[in-house]
Amino acid sequence: MKSRIIQSIPALLLALVTGLSGCEKDNRTEPKSVLKGKVVFEGQPIGLRSNGVQLELWQHGYQLFTKIPVMVAQDGTFSASLFDGNYKLVRLRGNGPWVDNTDSIDVELRGSKEIDVPVNPFFIFKNDVYSKGEGKVSATFNVQQVTAGRTIERVNLYIGTTIIVDPGNNVGNAQEVAANITDLSKPITLTANIPANLASREYIYARIGVKTSGVGEMLFGMPQKIMLK
Amino acid sequence: MKKLSLKIFVSASMLVFAGCNDWLERKPQNIILEEQVWNDPKMITGLLANYYDRLPAHTSLTTGWAEFSAYDEAMWSNNDDGRNNIINYPTTRWTLWDYGLIRDINLALESIETHAVKLSDAQKAQFSAELRFLRAYVYFEHVKRMGGVPLITKQLIYDFSGDPSPLQNPRNKEEEVYDFIASELDAVKDQLGNGTSNTRATKFTALAVKSRAMLYAASIAKYNNQMASPISTPGGEVGIPASRAKDYYAKSLAASAEIINSGSFELYKANPDKGANFYDAITKKSANREVIWAQDFLVSKDKRHGFTYDNIARNVREDNLSSSSITPSLNLVEDYEYLDGTSGELKNRNAGNTDYVYYDKLQDIFANKDARLYGTIIYPGTSFRGTEVQIQAGVKVWDSAANAFKTVESNVLGSTYEDGGLLTGSSGPQRSQTEVSNTGFYLRKYVDQTAMSSTRGIRSDMWWVRFRLGEIYLNAAEAALELGQTADALKYTNTLRERAGFPANSLKTINLEKLQNERRVELAFEDHRVWDLMRWRTAHEVWNGNSANPDAMIYALYPYRVVRPGHATHGKYVFDKLVAPRFRAPRFFQIANYYSFIPQSAIDNNPKIVRNPFH
Repeated sequence: MKSRIIQSIPALLLALVTGLSGCEKDNRTEPKSVLKGKVVFEGQPIGLRSNGVQLELWQHGYQLFTKIPVMVAQDGTFSASLFDGNYKLVRLRGNGPWVDNTDSIDVELRGSKEIDVPVNPFFIFKNDVYSKGEGKVSATFNVQQVTAGRTIERVNLYIGTTIIVDPGNNVGNAQEVAANITDLSKPITLTANIPANLASREYIYARIGVKTSGVGEMLFGMPQKIMLK
Repeated sequence: MKKLSLKIFVSASMLVFAGCNDWLERKPQNIILEEQVWNDPKMITGLLANYYDRLPAHTSLTTGWAEFSAYDEAMWSNNDDGRNNIINYPTTRWTLWDYGLIRDINLALESIETHAVKLSDAQKAQFSAELRFLRAYVYFEHVKRMGGVPLITKQLIYDFSGDPSPLQNPRNKEEEVYDFIASELDAVKDQLGNGTSNTRATKFTALAVKSRAMLYAASIAKYNNQMASPISTPGGEVGIPASRAKDYYAKSLAASAEIINSGSFELYKANPDKGANFYDAITKKSANREVIWAQDFLVSKDKRHGFTYDNIARNVREDNLSSSSITPSLNLVEDYEYLDGTSGELKNRNAGNTDYVYYDKLQDIFANKDARLYGTIIYPGTSFRGTEVQIQAGVKVWDSAANAFKTVESNVLGSTYEDGGLLTGSSGPQRSQTEVSNTGFYLRKYVDQTAMSSTRGIRSDMWWVRFRLGEIYLNAAEAALELGQTADALKYTNTLRERAGFPANSLKTINLEKLQNERRVELAFEDHRVWDLMRWRTAHEVWNGNSANPDAMIYALYPYRVVRPGHATHGKYVFDKLVAPRFRAPRFFQIANYYSFIPQSAIDNNPKIVRNPFH
């Protein structure tokens, strides 16, 4: 047994040497430059479904031409760790709750950079106010059509226990469909009931969303923390 | 020295002479040469078996079967909650790019021409026809997911010139791929042979594939162009002109009618019990003239699968693990109409919604429903393999102080309530446990009744039906309806409904909506639902990711025994409808899902490939 261990020492040493040298040869430094930004309309960030909307980064001049997908967070911000270089940022068609725009945005990344990605949504929220009632949360707001060409499908109020609130992550919601929204100049009020098992919480998050017909993703307001106590 | 050279001479000459005898010229035992394969019908058949086995499928009994629970037919009640919590379908979900299989078939087609000298012309023609049929089917599987793909019908061989561009073919138009499938099937259908086989391709298999493929092409041509913004690419790789719809519907109808009128197939009606008959129609492997093309299995040859092990109802399982994976939704159960033709919503509350409707037996709420419900789904009060599947969520105890029922449920399956009666059934439903139904229903279709088939040791040889006459009737009805031949559409649909227990001529009028529901209930768990919604371009509306949309959520039905001693309702059963407790995210199908993501490696290797829209 002992001799077998001694016999295998050269092999073990070889493995060790290969392992150590591997650390130098295989690994490259990770990308250190950071591109940050937000999706904006008239300078204001747009609320989205968390991880629902994608922007694309393309870089010309290399053999393989592959996009770097950049998912946008629920508050309209995004960030990506990249190597320095010149990129084209593309607003993927048919993806976000806004008018398709195929123009790319040039991004020259040296170190770190913050950019705004302007988009033209169909509908936005104005004058949103939130209030709490006994076991429920209400939101009153105006929906304003800022781009013609599509109609409204519905508006929703979602409530949730974390800041990420959307159709997939919520504990309750209220809805008004387009047929009942006749006049967009009048404020709309939605009231969602808080489930009984969450009624004793200190706070809850509420968020309003508008669905444009024919567009998959909804546009949201910013999540609001509502203190229940 | 002399002696040594003599020795060398002798041994050298021995080698030379030995080389002349057979010992060094034996045929290798472990290599089969092309000439051997292509001159031996048995070996060619073996090769064909390999290609049949590799045919792509989205959901079948062996490939992707779990995905039956990822749409609106069912949810997942086994361990893990992935399929109950799909935030949105990824664009790679249906991706298929199997040019390996296409290349193998092309190679076989060329080899049979170059190497087959001992085969008769008829044999050669038949094998070539079968290979071309398989290739057409593989292209159909591609085009329904990816849109137009490059049509490659020859081997692509690199000439080492440093320029790969002759190998890089652009995508064909979507309609070109469908036209290719139609012309290939037309060309080979009369050469296919194979008698009355329902596992190898015959003339009628080719017609069945044509019936389905042409219907898909037609509905894309029609309904894609009715969208607010039709999905298309400038080069036509995606999107079919609306003008082609009529032609495709007519081709589909002609193929369907040829199958129906041939007399070679008939709807299975051997069992007088209509519900059990529908189960038999799909699962009975002998004397079944309804099945046109199936993927067969056989336990004794170790060709078997674990579908029954994974999906059998909890209290009739024979293994100590798994069971209950795919559990049908209340949504699907309610889509089965009543036999008097009224809509299928279950009546669990009275007309004014002030009180429950009380039933004497669990199964009474399902009385007079479409018999296909029984053949597809195990619902409360029914049995499997002669054993009752005990489905009861708990008891409703009357609280006279509160003037209302109090719900009592148990975490222990098969537990007894304090009055000595059953509390929670041995098959649940249970709100949070795994390996027991979360919806209150179990799957019957395709779950094997053979004893021991739900054990891991033995498993099942239930076959997978790729095409059957029931679908052809519905394909014919839909194409006839779209072509304005309403009387024929009614005739085809009513024939199928009669087999399900409806009276003759049960439908007096017909529209696409009724046909859509008919397809949903007849073809549930046969890999149709998602493809049907895609070709009608309604998937993004039915599964719109809105939790307020009942179609996007999965509902459950929980039965309770009433405990109210001294009252007329004591011992009766009531039912609660609810969103299935383990179901999380509403189904969310986006416009970008209509065509799947082309693998980046394919685009890297071939810059002529155009991306699909929205990817």
